[in-house]
Amino acid sequence: MKVFSQLLICFLLSGSLLAQENTFKRRYVNHTEFGGLFGRVKSSYGYQQNAVESKASITAQIYNGLQLNKSLSAGVTAGMDWYKTALVNPLAAGMRYDLFKGKSARLFGTLDAGYGFTWFHQDTDGYKTKGGWMLNPGVGVKYGKPGGNAFTIVFSYKRQELHVDKPLWYDQQVRFEERIYNRLALRLGMYL
Amino acid sequence: MKAGFLHLLLFIVAFVSWSCNDQCTETRITRRLTPISRPLAEIRSSVRTEAAHTLKKPGKMYVKGNYLFINEIKEGIHIIDNSNPAAPNFISFINIPGNGDIAVKGNILYADSFSDLVALDISDVNAPKEVGRVNNVFQTGQFDGVWWTMTAPNAGIQDNAITDYKVEYVTETVSTNCEENIMYPILNSATAMSFSDMAFFRGKSASSSSNSGGTSGKAGSMSRFALHDNFLYTVSQSSLHLFNISKPSSPSDFSTINLGWNIETIFPYKNKLFIGSSTGMFIYDNSNPSAPQQLSVFQHGNACDPVVVHDDIAYVTLRTGTACAGTQNQMDLVDVSDASSPQLIRSYQMQNPHGLSIDFPILYLCEGEFGLKIFNAEDKMDIESKLLAHFKDMDAYDVISLGKTVLVIGKDGFYQYDASDVKNLRLLSKIPVSK
Repeated sequence: MKVFSQLLICFLLSGSLLAQENTFKRRYVNHTEFGGLFGRVKSSYGYQQNAVESKASITAQIYNGLQLNKSLSAGVTAGMDWYKTALVNPLAAGMRYDLFKGKSARLFGTLDAGYGFTWFHQDTDGYKTKGGWMLNPGVGVKYGKPGGNAFTIVFSYKRQELHVDKPLWYDQQVRFEERIYNRLALRLGMYL
Repeated sequence: MKAGFLHLLLFIVAFVSWSCNDQCTETRITRRLTPISRPLAEIRSSVRTEAAHTLKKPGKMYVKGNYLFINEIKEGIHIIDNSNPAAPNFISFINIPGNGDIAVKGNILYADSFSDLVALDISDVNAPKEVGRVNNVFQTGQFDGVWWTMTAPNAGIQDNAITDYKVEYVTETVSTNCEENIMYPILNSATAMSFSDMAFFRGKSASSSSNSGGTSGKAGSMSRFALHDNFLYTVSQSSLHLFNISKPSSPSDFSTINLGWNIETIFPYKNKLFIGSSTGMFIYDNSNPSAPQQLSVFQHGNACDPVVVHDDIAYVTLRTGTACAGTQNQMDLVDVSDASSPQLIRSYQMQNPHGLSIDFPILYLCEGEFGLKIFNAEDKMDIESKLLAHFKDMDAYDVISLGKTVLVIGKDGFYQYDASDVKNLRLLSKIPVSK
């Protein structure tokens, strides 16, 4: 959580410095997105070695922040990711930055970094799922007038760590799983 | 410059670290067993008194007067002078290979030694002496979830050797598909043998409190030995053995009652015997101590289950663990006012409940690595919210309440508390395990 707060402070400070470059009126921005997390996993199960499976999960998130200058906004992102066996609520420091200044379509970058909580996850008996760090950088395209509302498509890489304590089988003394979800996130959203 | 740097940063983060393969690894510390054969003649000749040892792997405990008897798992028994609970003093160590349980009546201490029941005269606690033995009465047993069996190499003459296992712990890491599917281990021959044994003979380190009156002592709730009248009751994995101890120094195998499988603990209370198995609790009428009669079975899910009883309520703990393969961690309160028809009153979720002890209304409950919990059990429908204290910085396996003091044993040692104020147990002494 210390890292989280430090990141937020950095974003806010950098924003205030950038804002001094020219006159700019700060405003509240909201970026609400919905989409999917896509990936694969390679695992060995019994005598089946290195089996590959495709994975797809639903994701939704809402970003609320301040437009610090014409290009940069910083704020907080809260979301919900439905992995097959984990329901994770990431809470992160976030930023949105316009990379190129187009007219109706503009390339922009996104970065969310924080911690995924398992507040609403329900474990199977004997399992205990604990949250972990989350990183979600990406690029997207805004469709809309500069300074106005925009429709967005964002491609990003999402890394979510989790720890799961598992029930012991007969001859086991310790059994736990470290999960790192590495997913391609494809989201559609509105930037207001 | 600044914008260029940000562009570069975003692209580096977004693309250089791009990887869309989930990476999930399961780490297991698994017990690996290597079979070894131990001649019975050698085991029997090894029973002797030695100078005091330090605690290394404590098992069950037993209290008799001012003396504590602490089992060193599979090795023997520590005799401790506890006349001053603040400074218990190790007196001697009785080397008994294959020992797991203890009972004391008068000056005779009964202990198992793999297949045999041994009687020792402890009139002189500095030099206990073997005075009696019943050979080949236990066919199989378990220590820390590892089974030993008697071998019969000479056409069924089972007095040759014990097949035991050397235990090693192996850490392995395997990749998973990031889901909760049950990963069945691939068993090697040693664990496969042990696994099949478990399927048929599950029974676990024990203890329950044998509180037969008179000159006997008090055991923890995980005990497999109980004393009543002129009989010593022991539970093995599938049966209840009765030993006639009317002549204490010469116990004799009196009778055997088949109970089914997976018997774990025995708790005598008034004229009943409460026997815990991994699938249920058996209640036996013991009005005639020489011929207990089964009254009922209270079935529950697969789990280890010590039991204690006070008045009409049995407190049964169910836990997951290496030998139990269950997924429940809870305490069941069972109405046993009609012993022929026990009824569940209520289940309470726990963390990993092991032994327990009741000094009504105070209930002491060991939670294994999660410590010791103390409840007020006066309201049987609301025990969960009556948690008086939780001592987390200890490993608690079994507990004995002696009224003013409480004895707790676990992997990290033996603790003794002043219980005059149960909300603020005061540590009187601790005997740590030596590494």
